Amino acid sequence: MKNLSIIFVIVFVSSVRFISAQTNTAMYISISPTYGANVVDLADSSFLTNDSNNLQIDVLKFYISHFQFLKAGINVLEEQNSFHLVDASDPKTLQIIILNKQNIVFDQLDFYLGIDSITTVSGAMGGDLDPTKGMYWSWQSGYINCKLEGKSKLCSTRNNEFQFHLGGYQSPFNTLQALEFPISNTEHIHITFDIKKIIENINLATLNHVMSPNNVALQLSKTVSKAISIK
Amino acid sequence: MKARRYFLLCICFVVSAFQFTEKSLFFVPDTWPKPKYDFSKNPITESKVELGRKLFYDPIFSGDNTISCASCHSQYTAFTHVDHALSHGIEDRIGTRNSPALMNLAWQKLFMRDGAVNHLDMQALAPISNPLEMDETITHVVSKLQANNLYPTLFYRAFGDSIITGEHTLKAISQFMLTLISSNSRYDSVMRKQANFSEQEKNGYRLYQQNCSSCHPEPLFTNDEFMNNGLPTDSTLKDYGRLGVTKNPNDSLKFKVPTLRNVEFSYPYMHDGRFKRLSEVLKHYTSGIRQSNTLANVLQKPIVLTSNEKVDIIAFLLTLTDKSFLFNPKFSYPRK
Repeated sequence: MKNLSIIFVIVFVSSVRFISAQTNTAMYISISPTYGANVVDLADSSFLTNDSNNLQIDVLKFYISHFQFLKAGINVLEEQNSFHLVDASDPKTLQIIILNKQNIVFDQLDFYLGIDSITTVSGAMGGDLDPTKGMYWSWQSGYINCKLEGKSKLCSTRNNEFQFHLGGYQSPFNTLQALEFPISNTEHIHITFDIKKIIENINLATLNHVMSPNNVALQLSKTVSKAISIK
Repeated sequence: MKARRYFLLCICFVVSAFQFTEKSLFFVPDTWPKPKYDFSKNPITESKVELGRKLFYDPIFSGDNTISCASCHSQYTAFTHVDHALSHGIEDRIGTRNSPALMNLAWQKLFMRDGAVNHLDMQALAPISNPLEMDETITHVVSKLQANNLYPTLFYRAFGDSIITGEHTLKAISQFMLTLISSNSRYDSVMRKQANFSEQEKNGYRLYQQNCSSCHPEPLFTNDEFMNNGLPTDSTLKDYGRLGVTKNPNDSLKFKVPTLRNVEFSYPYMHDGRFKRLSEVLKHYTSGIRQSNTLANVLQKPIVLTSNEKVDIIAFLLTLTDKSFLFNPKFSYPRK
């Protein structure tokens, strides 16, 4: 009988906890890969632009990590184990929900484009960081922070392909990009990744393959970081 | 009340027995430094080590299911590829480097001859995906393991999850490799005052301390660093070692300093396996050093050894052979 009452108390307490969790404010962070005004959805097919160079986007995958919420420049909330692989061909990866349990007020969001060096030297990891996700170099340790692949008439390569695998965690080629944005709507945060901002700022005729940590990868990572904005 | 006491006693007994097994799987030999591997992220358990051992010997890791880790790292040759200067992969494809001997890996920070791999867990990815070695992908290996009759159960036993992941696969292989500790050579017995060197070995030990120990210090017999030891560059391989990883000209021609433990069995020697005999290695250090900007400081001045002294050094090096490691049944092909 005593045991039964203990079980009853446990069930009661946990259901109260469950109900209170329901009232926590959930923050929705959505990510939209775009090309200018058009949404880039690679779930079923490649994305074709109507520009004169027949630009085609086949792959867009990137890591965003270490979500930190700030108020007046001070860190007030951070997501634990905050590593998100965003894949323009997988709609599941385009929305992230973070619970703001104490309804903390903030006015700024900081995060990284890529995976930091401490995480990179910490051995095998699971979830979005599992090496089976295809975003880990095998011949030289390190995550690929961003993959952008496609075709353009400008590229005099095989099948007019371009392939950017941007990564590198060690100085002087640490390609991690720290980003910060002011936030007004704290319930729905909308991140846009505009590929057009990358393509317009590089010359695909001369730059079409980056596959290892080097200075070109570093410069291109800076360009890619400018494709990200929050509305 | 009595029953409860008996129960507690049983628990204590089980816990202490458990700790005893854990200790024997991985241990830090007396006088050895603290391991570099972070065990808090991958605590050693018997079921994980056993899984890792099975994976180490399973050709499922190669594209055509013909070669395993053990193909190029066989136990009786200190877990390296004996008789092959450059290790070969599936379909007899020849690689570009000599496979390193595997032992005392918990005390190493960077892996591969050029240190391209930053953690023991991630090391296996390199040979798995190298087209000249296993020519496979970790993603496909995981799906093959998942489809196998045995592995989902073994992963469940080891990690509490029958869904196989890259993380668990790599961590299991690390667990087995971490248990490959060689600390029981005759040299170790002498240090523990359980045996004595012969006069010749004693002289060899003295000469080793004078001439070799700055890069190959006791007790691990490696400083775990990258050095240029003055080898002339092979014109066909054009391998500049660590330069390829860091792009730093100061790292040109630097390769990882290997341990001297079990060196009697880990031939051929050097990153490209160019020397078959220890006598050739010593000849290189006394008369073959090629000067260059990045040559190790300690090799700037030539090492002078008489032919008798070379013989004595080799006699000492043979005392680093650890038969209990080379023939330890816990490290061999899992037959059950």
